[in-house]
Amino acid sequence: MKKELSILFESHADRLKEEWITEMRESGLLAKMSDTETEKRYTALYNAVVSTFSTGKFDDVERYAKEITEGVVLRDTSVERIIGGILKLRDIYERFIFSEYRDDEEMLYQLLASYEPVANNILTIVTMAFVEAREQVIREQQKAMMSLSTPVLQIRDEILVLPLIGTIDSERAEQILEELLKRIVELTASVVIIDLTGVPVIDSLVANHMIKTVQAAKMLGADTIITGISPVNAQTLAGLGVDLSMLITKNNLRAGLWHAEKMLGFKVIRETE
Amino acid sequence: MDIPILKIEDFLVVTIQSELSDDEIYALQEDILSRIKDVGATGLIIDITALDIVDSFMGRTLSNIAATAELLGAKSVVVGIRPAVAVTLVELGIRVKWNVNTALNLERGIKLLKRLIEAERRGGAS
Amino acid sequence: MNITSSADIIAARGKGRELAMKMGFSVVDQTKITTAISELTRNIVTYAGKGEVIIKKAESETGGKNGIVVVCRDEGPGIEDIQLVLKSGFSTSESLGLGLSGAKQLMDEFEIKSKPGKGTIVTIKKWLRRR
Repeated sequence: MKKELSILFESHADRLKEEWITEMRESGLLAKMSDTETEKRYTALYNAVVSTFSTGKFDDVERYAKEITEGVVLRDTSVERIIGGILKLRDIYERFIFSEYRDDEEMLYQLLASYEPVANNILTIVTMAFVEAREQVIREQQKAMMSLSTPVLQIRDEILVLPLIGTIDSERAEQILEELLKRIVELTASVVIIDLTGVPVIDSLVANHMIKTVQAAKMLGADTIITGISPVNAQTLAGLGVDLSMLITKNNLRAGLWHAEKMLGFKVIRETE
Repeated sequence: MDIPILKIEDFLVVTIQSELSDDEIYALQEDILSRIKDVGATGLIIDITALDIVDSFMGRTLSNIAATAELLGAKSVVVGIRPAVAVTLVELGIRVKWNVNTALNLERGIKLLKRLIEAERRGGAS
Repeated sequence: MNITSSADIIAARGKGRELAMKMGFSVVDQTKITTAISELTRNIVTYAGKGEVIIKKAESETGGKNGIVVVCRDEGPGIEDIQLVLKSGFSTSESLGLGLSGAKQLMDEFEIKSKPGKGTIVTIKKWLRRR
């Protein structure tokens, strides 16, 4: 039955194309698009659809979906236009089947039974490709944000500062730890200052991650100073029974830096009075 | 496998170059300790840069060597722990009993040894 | 793969590392998996004398997640009080006592079945993080 459908569509290819373009224009889905571009857009969709009916396989639709989602991601076009185009094509072809087999009820029934699931499947494949592409973009952005939020700065020979901002969960804590250790090796650091001024909530989870970080850094030969734990957070931690005595903690970044410089024998002197 | 133990001034330097079986680890431990005694070393550096895994057994052995070396009059420093190994050791929970001095690399290790020895000579903390 | 000596521990680690690398685990996760294998196979050698380890790809029951699964089996003396052994730091030998609790910490999933006199089966899994 599918074979017949593909022959039917191919034999009236020009007429169906005209109808599609006209309807698309009327609904504004081809706005600002040149004739060649319109032609290209239709041909890609048409080839994918007809090949599906003639081969019974969805390979070409999947390939089409992949290409078209890349276009959307690159902002060449919008999801609305693509899905709109497929819906239009589906309706036009279905009306066409109706008009051709109006008098042969049996055949009409069989053709539609064969046509509809395939048409719906094509739409599903393309829609899912969009969803997947969007999720991919979101994942990449999350990753980029994570690395942006883990800046390891070298402020003197052998001294690194890691100013943390925002909430810290286990995944981010692990990521921070790995990034920090990598930088300690790269920059042969001896002292690391982790500043928590920008971390609103320091619970036992965050504290435990800090303790792990300090221990791992120590194994690479680097001492860690923790700064910027607010009085409120310090009270919470004490209340939770978290033992911070094994950490070097300082009030603020300035005091932390001063301590780090002292540890390494730096002496910062203002030259003029 | 024979692992060379180099002597630099009063320090011994051991570079572990590949994964060791338990027997090799035990043999190495004996070797190191008898060399410390023989040459009267004041410091020991164990370089494990080449190890891509340190399990609790290896961790314990390193800490045993350090403790025994201390009794023989030598300070020890383990150098070259890789980031992934450090993360794993911490996750493993080794911290509770692990009292091993560590440094980033050989150069830093020697510096740390000298500082530790100097601090002891002065009778103060490091 | 059979585990009877400390040379087998090294071989099992190598196998675990190789599979973890091939599957795309990060260097840190590769190291954690390899170390967990080392802890468990050493338990076999130390307490049971002999046993076996199976290291292979795992798929989550709901699908979608890929990972690595390690099964260590022996017919050794078994464990009397599993809860006690899993408490961090506990050990009957003089080691740091991190064998089982350590392997549990390093992995995402941990399951142990043991009966005194009947042996022990430990199954551990780690999932690939989605990128």
